[in-house]
Amino acid sequence: MTSNLTERKDRPALDPKEFKGDVHPDWCPGCGDFGVLSCLQRAFAELGIPQHEIAVISGIGCSSNLPGFINTYGMHTLHGRSLPNAQGFKLSHHDMTVVAVGGDGDGYGIGVGHFIHALRRNIDLTYIVMNNSIYGLTTGQTSPTSPLGMKTKSTPFGNPEAPLNPITLALGSGASFVSRVFTGNPKQVIEVYKTAIKHKGFAFIDTFSPCVTFNKINTAKFYKDSAYDLNAKGHDTSNMEAAFAVAMKIPDGTEPIATGIFYQSERPCYEESEKDTLLVPVVNHKLGITTERAEQLKARFK
Amino acid sequence: MEAQACLEHIKMKNNVIVRIAGAAGDGIQSTGELLGKTCSRMGLHVLAYNSFQSAIRGGHVWLQMAIGPDKQYDHGEEPEVVLLFNKTSPAVHVPDVKSGGTVFYNAGTIKKEEIESLRSDVNFYGLDFKGMTDAAGLKDVSTVMINVMLAGALVQTLHLDPKVTLEFIKHKFQKKGDQIVDLNNAIFDLGFEWTKTNTKPLELKLKGDNKPKLFMSGNDAIGMGLVAGGLKFYAAYPMSPATGILHYLSTLAHSDKLIIKQVEDELAAINWAVGAGHAGVRAATGTAGGGFCLMVEGVGLAAMAEVPVVTVLVQRGGPSTGVPTKIEQADISLAMGGNGEFPRFILAPKDLEDCFYQAARALNIAEKYQVPVILMSDFFLSEHFGTVDDLDFSKIKIERGKLTTEWNLENNEKYKRYAYTEDGVSPRVRPGTPGAMHLVVSDEHNEYGHLMSDVDAGLPHAREARIKMHAKRMRKVELMIENGDANPPILEGDINAKTTFVTWGSTYAYVKSAMMLLEKEGVKTNHLHFTDIYPIPREKTLALLKKCNRLISVEANMCNSLCRQILTETGFEIREHINRWDGEPFTGEYIVKELKKNAKNKQLVNV
Repeated sequence: MTSNLTERKDRPALDPKEFKGDVHPDWCPGCGDFGVLSCLQRAFAELGIPQHEIAVISGIGCSSNLPGFINTYGMHTLHGRSLPNAQGFKLSHHDMTVVAVGGDGDGYGIGVGHFIHALRRNIDLTYIVMNNSIYGLTTGQTSPTSPLGMKTKSTPFGNPEAPLNPITLALGSGASFVSRVFTGNPKQVIEVYKTAIKHKGFAFIDTFSPCVTFNKINTAKFYKDSAYDLNAKGHDTSNMEAAFAVAMKIPDGTEPIATGIFYQSERPCYEESEKDTLLVPVVNHKLGITTERAEQLKARFK
Repeated sequence: MEAQACLEHIKMKNNVIVRIAGAAGDGIQSTGELLGKTCSRMGLHVLAYNSFQSAIRGGHVWLQMAIGPDKQYDHGEEPEVVLLFNKTSPAVHVPDVKSGGTVFYNAGTIKKEEIESLRSDVNFYGLDFKGMTDAAGLKDVSTVMINVMLAGALVQTLHLDPKVTLEFIKHKFQKKGDQIVDLNNAIFDLGFEWTKTNTKPLELKLKGDNKPKLFMSGNDAIGMGLVAGGLKFYAAYPMSPATGILHYLSTLAHSDKLIIKQVEDELAAINWAVGAGHAGVRAATGTAGGGFCLMVEGVGLAAMAEVPVVTVLVQRGGPSTGVPTKIEQADISLAMGGNGEFPRFILAPKDLEDCFYQAARALNIAEKYQVPVILMSDFFLSEHFGTVDDLDFSKIKIERGKLTTEWNLENNEKYKRYAYTEDGVSPRVRPGTPGAMHLVVSDEHNEYGHLMSDVDAGLPHAREARIKMHAKRMRKVELMIENGDANPPILEGDINAKTTFVTWGSTYAYVKSAMMLLEKEGVKTNHLHFTDIYPIPREKTLALLKKCNRLISVEANMCNSLCRQILTETGFEIREHINRWDGEPFTGEYIVKELKKNAKNKQLVNV
């Protein structure tokens, strides 16, 4: 593999079936995460990226089980730590396509610190948050994106906290690619995932992925009734102010919910600042120190 | 005539203890560096201990340096030559000066009458920096440059070679231009010449072997050892006393093509390192005890996912934020911690050379066994400066264990990342290799890395996988012992000695020093030192412990961290202890005094 720091060529499409994992997903029937999995497999196939050149890296939660169901390299790490693992992996082997995945609890709750820093750092990887506004694997507690007043097992009298807005958070943290999709519209999901993977920098996709078991408010019907494609309406994705203006509308169903790419900028990705080191993927560097270099290292202390 | 000179040389004292004290920001470090470099370039050995606070300016700091022709093990108690920079220093340091000693002070900040009233058995010399530089007509003089004048006084009084110091000044300031170099030279000369004419010469002959030594800190040596051992990736969050490793490695990032990252917190640092380790580079992180607390879950991830990663744990006073700039050796139970049972390797270097070799060794063990390795240092070891004769890079062999980038596609076989093997270590195909796609996981899993923890949990096949996989991982602990990678402690000194000191980490040097002092008194002791803290080979270690007559542990803690570890791993209880937990390192004299007080039953291990 040669360095893709400078260019990313189009390749012939592959069969999405090749991305099918050995294990059948254990998600509840009707879970939005099925849609994310199949759209991601389609996106990889359509971009023609061979399975062995991809690493899908997750945290913990229902949605974080996704790497187990896809035939690529991957890591299923700790709750909230998909991004640190993914960034360490990517800088070590930057010729691989790295996609971090997880849920809203994983990314906006326990891992939100890493999320903000990953956004500003702008390492060339893709981050898909399967946002269902509920903690599913722990059987239904409030999440950082649960609507105000929502009754859950941990908020039986209604959620007293205002939800976090992932889109404005990302825009305000220096993101170079900010988008939102809904699994009920797979065509759009595939297109946005493909654009995100091709984007040179940190690409973030908040993906509404309804939980059929524990969230009776943010259902597939809820999103289907109000989602619209903002890119079809002439939104200027290079305009951050316009992106903020759309993003500030809280997706509570009182007005149409914008989906699509909110913002994309061409600011240099992190790897550009380490061009010399990353000319050859670090995993392929020769290890150890030459005798001459050893003498130089010692000379500094003499 | 020659014989006479020779005799005089033998009689002449050949080592000295120097202390330099002042406010943080006074330039104590610069003076220490000038002195240290002068000595190390002359082929003398030094050991310097920095006593400082967690403050950038305003704290009172001092540095004590032992200088001599042989390897120095101890910064000593009573300094013989002292430099005092600010007005709070006389009251703190004059009482410590050895009788007959010499004190140079900044006459601009310290009053002659006041300092001289403190002791009558010490020689005081005040240097009037402003008066002297004005009289010499020097321009653009800044008050901090007094550290160069005092360095001149020191070099003269210790009969060191001023040419060596001036060469170093040139090297250090040449980036700032010739004018600055010339000014510093002139100020150095003022101190040097003044001392020549105004002070009583010392009966001292410091003679080096003219082979320049490396003058470095433990953190420098750890960083260099990691690089020599093939490190490519280091992620960390700043935390004293581990930050020096990040600083050193950062300077090499471009020249040696390393990824050195300061990240948002320690949770990130360990997980970045695990991600990098899984990708296939040699990865490490480093922190102090508080930061390690945050990393523990990530260490468990490395063990469960079988990803090699090295964590440098530099201990400081705890718990919680504790005492950031003081020594303590109380984190073995932390390094042994984490949820569940998992294989790991813990080792602790004893001195500067050892920091270099053990850091490189840690990277090999991590890859060979696909486990987390914890390299334990402490505040003294990491932050003190001293001389090293040489570091032999040719001794470092990089062993990557069962790592491969080859996978036979024609077999049409599915790769098992966690294949059950006799030795517990599974062949590791590097991500990116065609055909061997797989997942590494934090959940319990089968040979393929498929989760056994969710819908399968509790079913017969999942229970069987749990039993076998857990045993496979833990098998590596035995393997480390079988392969001779986990070593028993080393017994140094006379096997028949009545007393055996037991140590780990930096305490090694002070016990060496104590043993030399005791030997002068005719008391023979020996020394059992642990480098490998986990796993400990039980039988060999027990045999050594049982050979010893009276065992006394020496640890910089209250509750005998190492003794507890020995008891847990071997069932052997050490019942006598010398402890120190005021934050200052031991000295040889301190240990001898404690020994004489009879250390019996001071702190019993009560488990």
